Amino acid sequence: MSLQTASHKWYVPFEILSLRSVLNAAVAMHVVLAALELIRDRIDLAGLTIALAAIFALLRWLAPQALSGSPRLQIVRLIVLLSIIIVARLTLAGDVSGYAVWARAWSWIPILMVLAALFSPYTSTWTRQPLSTDDLAEGLARNRRLYPWFQRFGSHVLLIHSCVLVLLPVIWIADVSISPGNLLGGGIGDAFSLEHYQTMLGGSSFWVWTRNSVIVAVGTTFFGLCLAVPSAYAFSRFDFFGRRSAMFAFIVVQMFPGAIILVPYFLVMKTLGLLNTSIGLIVAYSVTALPLCIWMLKGFFDAVPRELEEAAKLDGCSTAQIFLRIILPLSIPAVAVTGIFSFLTAWNEFLLALVFNTSNDQFTLPVGLASLIPTDGQRWGDFAAASLLVSIPVVILFILFQRSLIQGLSSGAVKG
Amino acid sequence: MSRFWISLRSFILIVSLLAVLSGGAAYAQSVEASSAEDLTDYRRTGLELSLSGLQEGWSVEIRTDQHGVHTRIPVKDVFGLTRLPAEAALQACFSDGAPVHVDTDQQSVIGAGTQSLRCALTGLRPGTDVAVQAAIVDETGTLRAQSSEIRLRTDVSDLRLTPPDTRPILYLLGSILISLVLLLSALRWWDIRRGNLKSRNAYLYVGPAIVALVLLTFYPITYGIWLSFTDANQTHLGQSSFIGLENFGTVLMSSGLVQVGLFTLIWTVVNVFLHVTLGLLLALVLNRETLFGRNVYRTILLLPWAVPAYISVLAWQGMLQPEGLVNQFLGAEANFLGEATSARISVTLVNAWLGVPFMMMSLSGAMKAISTDMFEAADLDGVSRWNQFRHITFPNLKTTLVPLSLLSFIWTFNMFNTIYLLTRGGPYLGFGQPGATDIMVTYIYDVAFEYGDYGLAAAWSVIVFLLLVSFSIFYVRQTRATEAVT
Repeated sequence: MSLQTASHKWYVPFEILSLRSVLNAAVAMHVVLAALELIRDRIDLAGLTIALAAIFALLRWLAPQALSGSPRLQIVRLIVLLSIIIVARLTLAGDVSGYAVWARAWSWIPILMVLAALFSPYTSTWTRQPLSTDDLAEGLARNRRLYPWFQRFGSHVLLIHSCVLVLLPVIWIADVSISPGNLLGGGIGDAFSLEHYQTMLGGSSFWVWTRNSVIVAVGTTFFGLCLAVPSAYAFSRFDFFGRRSAMFAFIVVQMFPGAIILVPYFLVMKTLGLLNTSIGLIVAYSVTALPLCIWMLKGFFDAVPRELEEAAKLDGCSTAQIFLRIILPLSIPAVAVTGIFSFLTAWNEFLLALVFNTSNDQFTLPVGLASLIPTDGQRWGDFAAASLLVSIPVVILFILFQRSLIQGLSSGAVKG
Repeated sequence: MSRFWISLRSFILIVSLLAVLSGGAAYAQSVEASSAEDLTDYRRTGLELSLSGLQEGWSVEIRTDQHGVHTRIPVKDVFGLTRLPAEAALQACFSDGAPVHVDTDQQSVIGAGTQSLRCALTGLRPGTDVAVQAAIVDETGTLRAQSSEIRLRTDVSDLRLTPPDTRPILYLLGSILISLVLLLSALRWWDIRRGNLKSRNAYLYVGPAIVALVLLTFYPITYGIWLSFTDANQTHLGQSSFIGLENFGTVLMSSGLVQVGLFTLIWTVVNVFLHVTLGLLLALVLNRETLFGRNVYRTILLLPWAVPAYISVLAWQGMLQPEGLVNQFLGAEANFLGEATSARISVTLVNAWLGVPFMMMSLSGAMKAISTDMFEAADLDGVSRWNQFRHITFPNLKTTLVPLSLLSFIWTFNMFNTIYLLTRGGPYLGFGQPGATDIMVTYIYDVAFEYGDYGLAAAWSVIVFLLLVSFSIFYVRQTRATEAVT
């Protein structure tokens, strides 16, 4: 390997270095854009977009070496010219909408970066064959300065795109809830009315559903904890016959999908006369959430030092006393987190509530809200208003406790 | 019925008709009756009515010469009311082709827009001719319209459905409970005898949870497996009989199996792939300590997990409507959920949207546990970011990724909500046939609760369960991650 190629490998100017990732992203983005153009029924534009994606892929492939050799450089210039023509055509075809601006930004920015790379003095220095040590040192220093900025910029572009995708339904719901009328359509923020909040809060259905959901969720939390806390403690501390197989059974149960035991579950509940009651749902939810709750709690109990118990035992505490007086007070935060988890599960569960409770006055919020959107006569505005009212407390609860919830959940999930 | 009442009624009818006509021809009521032949399958007499001009507060009456008023169905605002469960509807009425609605008192009601009503008439004397007439009556009991009298013949053995005999289930639940308590006490005694005094109370602590789990999870599973070998359905639940492997044969021979199986497979694999790659990408980006606004991004990206799933799925349904936000943004008029391919792509993307945050958070937790020394050393050696990821981050994440992707696989395989709330399995839903976006669990729901075939649904469930278990075992063996379990 000659010194020349070695320095070419070690040092690539910032323009070309950044061009690689930008063109990667641009190729992926243009495939998506082409699909979107197909959805818009603009097959001509979709073809052009795909052509652009292919050109970017070609440039990505040529970029690192091509800029250094003269015949290839000509090809690259030609391709860039071609792409400019295509993008200009696309720009002229598009209307001035949010979509068009965003899509064309994704076409123009890579092209401008290619042009910048073509005309940058650093690139021409790099392509000139003998690369002096000074040039090399200066270029490397420049890379070290600029590249982190570029990476940060790239991260922000990715994150902003994801955040827009995530926030879109939220903004949409907020907008629909304050738009008059129950139909879709109309731009965001073009009209204002509180009629949907009045309908939902003034009517009885919403309160009935909320009452049912609160009863079910609180009942599930309480009953579920009563079952989970003692058994998690036993799994964590006692060595009894059948401990390992019982724990294994709990893991296996976690794998059982709700839909599969749906039919027998329904029939058992029917036999016990628990259909269309809150108790049926409380019992079902407590048991389905039980394995995960036990795993979460067991993890927490395992972390409580055993020395405490041994000291208490020396002082003459019974097992029950140790559990109630020492372990439980110490693990109140953990129990609370598990409680929040089962509360949220019960608050959001849909399938069992749909199957078990068929009368309107026993609906929980999920089924009630879904019943606002049947196949005919959809009440989008009312649904949106109710959804916001329902999800705001839950989202706040989730975000406040996210770290402990996620920690408990993923340790339970990964172990299970 | 005396002549006097008939003439009075016709008088009232004429007067009211005149009154209504003067008020506006739009409110003209009419009711026509004919016999519903196909309802006699269930050995009752059926009546088919076509109605118009109903108003809320009125009611529809079916009168026979044996009963006087046989059935009275009030006309009410049915918005937000449920329809009668399908198994009860066999002895009740269907309005416009679906079981009638029930109000909060479990009374059958119909909406003002109802145009046709089919009722099974039970409780008539068997083997007789019966004269049947239908009428529309308003709040005050005034007759608004009535049909001509038709004569129907009841079957020789008119049969009321007996409620299924479910006592065996109760006995079984009871005996399981008792034997569990006995078993746990025996285990406790044995443990103490072994000299394990320290944990003699363990069974008291675990007992309730184990009893609940056995009664409400293991027993239903066993019961479900048993059901799959029977011909249980909603009409004869108590008298179901053992039919061997017939249900499994039906499932394996059904035309829907290949379609549903294939889509379930594609749906699961694509979703797990998207969850893992996007979750990994976002976790990598978010893990840079120096990133400006890192916590804000994190919180926003958590939203799909924090917002109740049913709400966000329904919101996506609204946004994907022809006049919804997505079309507005694109300036298009696509019916995303109305065509097979676009509906399939839409449900998959929406589910990816839902599942990425969990993966992202779990992976970023695992990434924090990787010692930073390795990255520092790699930086010194000039290893590129991509190679750092390939040779340091990824191998270290493997122990987390294996169980996480298995979990994601199982969850996605059983993801009922997304599909049910977006498309109900449609488009192209035919009776007994899966729709274009039906995966196995949504199809099982349809078979059980729309078509009422519990035995067949149970057979599907058993097959799904066997598939999942064998896949899990295969996957865990292949990845040799058994040490990650327990």
